[in-house]
Amino acid sequence: MSLIGSINGLTPTTITRPNSVLRPDGLAPTMPGLTPQTTALPGSDTTQPGGFGQLLEKLVSTVDTKQAEANQLSRQVLLGQSDQLHQSVIAMQEASVAFSLMVEVRNKLVDSYQELMRMPV
Amino acid sequence: MNLISGIDVSASALNAQKTRLDIVAQNIANAQTTRGADGRPYQRQVVSFERELIRRTGEDPISSGGAALQSVRVGSIQSDPTPGQRVYDPQHPDADSAGIVTMPNVNLAYEMVDLITATRAYEANLSVVKNARQMAMKALEIGK
Amino acid sequence: MAPPLLNRVSMIDPIFQSDTYQLARKLLDATALRQEAIASNIANVETPGYRRLDVAPNFATELRAQIAAGARPESLSTLQPSLTEDLRARSVRADGNSVELEKELIEMNRNTVDYEYLTDLVSRNIKQLRVAITGRNY
Repeated sequence: MSLIGSINGLTPTTITRPNSVLRPDGLAPTMPGLTPQTTALPGSDTTQPGGFGQLLEKLVSTVDTKQAEANQLSRQVLLGQSDQLHQSVIAMQEASVAFSLMVEVRNKLVDSYQELMRMPV
Repeated sequence: MNLISGIDVSASALNAQKTRLDIVAQNIANAQTTRGADGRPYQRQVVSFERELIRRTGEDPISSGGAALQSVRVGSIQSDPTPGQRVYDPQHPDADSAGIVTMPNVNLAYEMVDLITATRAYEANLSVVKNARQMAMKALEIGK
Repeated sequence: MAPPLLNRVSMIDPIFQSDTYQLARKLLDATALRQEAIASNIANVETPGYRRLDVAPNFATELRAQIAAGARPESLSTLQPSLTEDLRARSVRADGNSVELEKELIEMNRNTVDYEYLTDLVSRNIKQLRVAITGRNY
């Protein structure tokens, strides 16, 4: 009982974070036991600064940029327009690291969601 | 694909030096040939190099990166017109009525110097290629 | 309360834009270009009138000046190395050829070590990032 009471006392901002964790994976933000403010949250993700959804969006666009750059440089090398082998390799490695970061962030987010789901309330 | 830097330049030079070596070997081998297929003594062959602009793929060689890369290639192989040494040797099968034999105009000392120079240049270009390949392999290992 | 996540959102680019890393990438361009110059020099060791080529010295001075002035790595992208005639080389033959074979071979060795050092530096940065992200060595 006291647990539910303490959850009821959480501020809206603190509550939105777990909720926006769910959005990137398209999972329904159902978390019984939290205050009714949660029902207003699904749409407020993008307006809240620091939302995880926005974080992932930025990551995805960074990864996209790096991959495009790597593709561009590799294409130039393949077509013989450039002989800068090292730049192509470096760009590909950077893209791969950015991609790894995105994957790891996603994994952690999913893990934390699952852990939250396991929380007895 | 031009993944090894400067390989076109070195390849041209290697070809040119190899041709030169072949000609020098031919000269040395025929240093005593007093009668060739045309009945005359062997004439020393001389290789002349000319410059070759290396075009970076898809780019004008001059406008990119400032100075253009140039290499060498064989321009022509010509006979040396200098008359050969005339030796008095009546016993020689090719001696003329006065007993004079015209030897090929091959001077072994010059040919040996040419041989050493060409070999040295060939080996230097070869080490450039090996080096460039090593650099490319190192670049491929970035991040691995 | 924890600082807004938005401030920490672009995590990747600052890492890839550390000064040393960007500097190393620029110098790799110059080193690769110098290898081509050396290849050209050695190929033309006997060409009459050939003057030795090298990376233009203003590239190094420009780079040093910009770094000293604290330029951000983005602004370095306009600075590219280029090849010019090496004006400090003296003629070693009567026909004006300024290539000394031994000097070129030594220069090539030095250049290769530079290249290997730079690739090592870049490689190390990337590998460190990878371990930090995935927590594993591979």
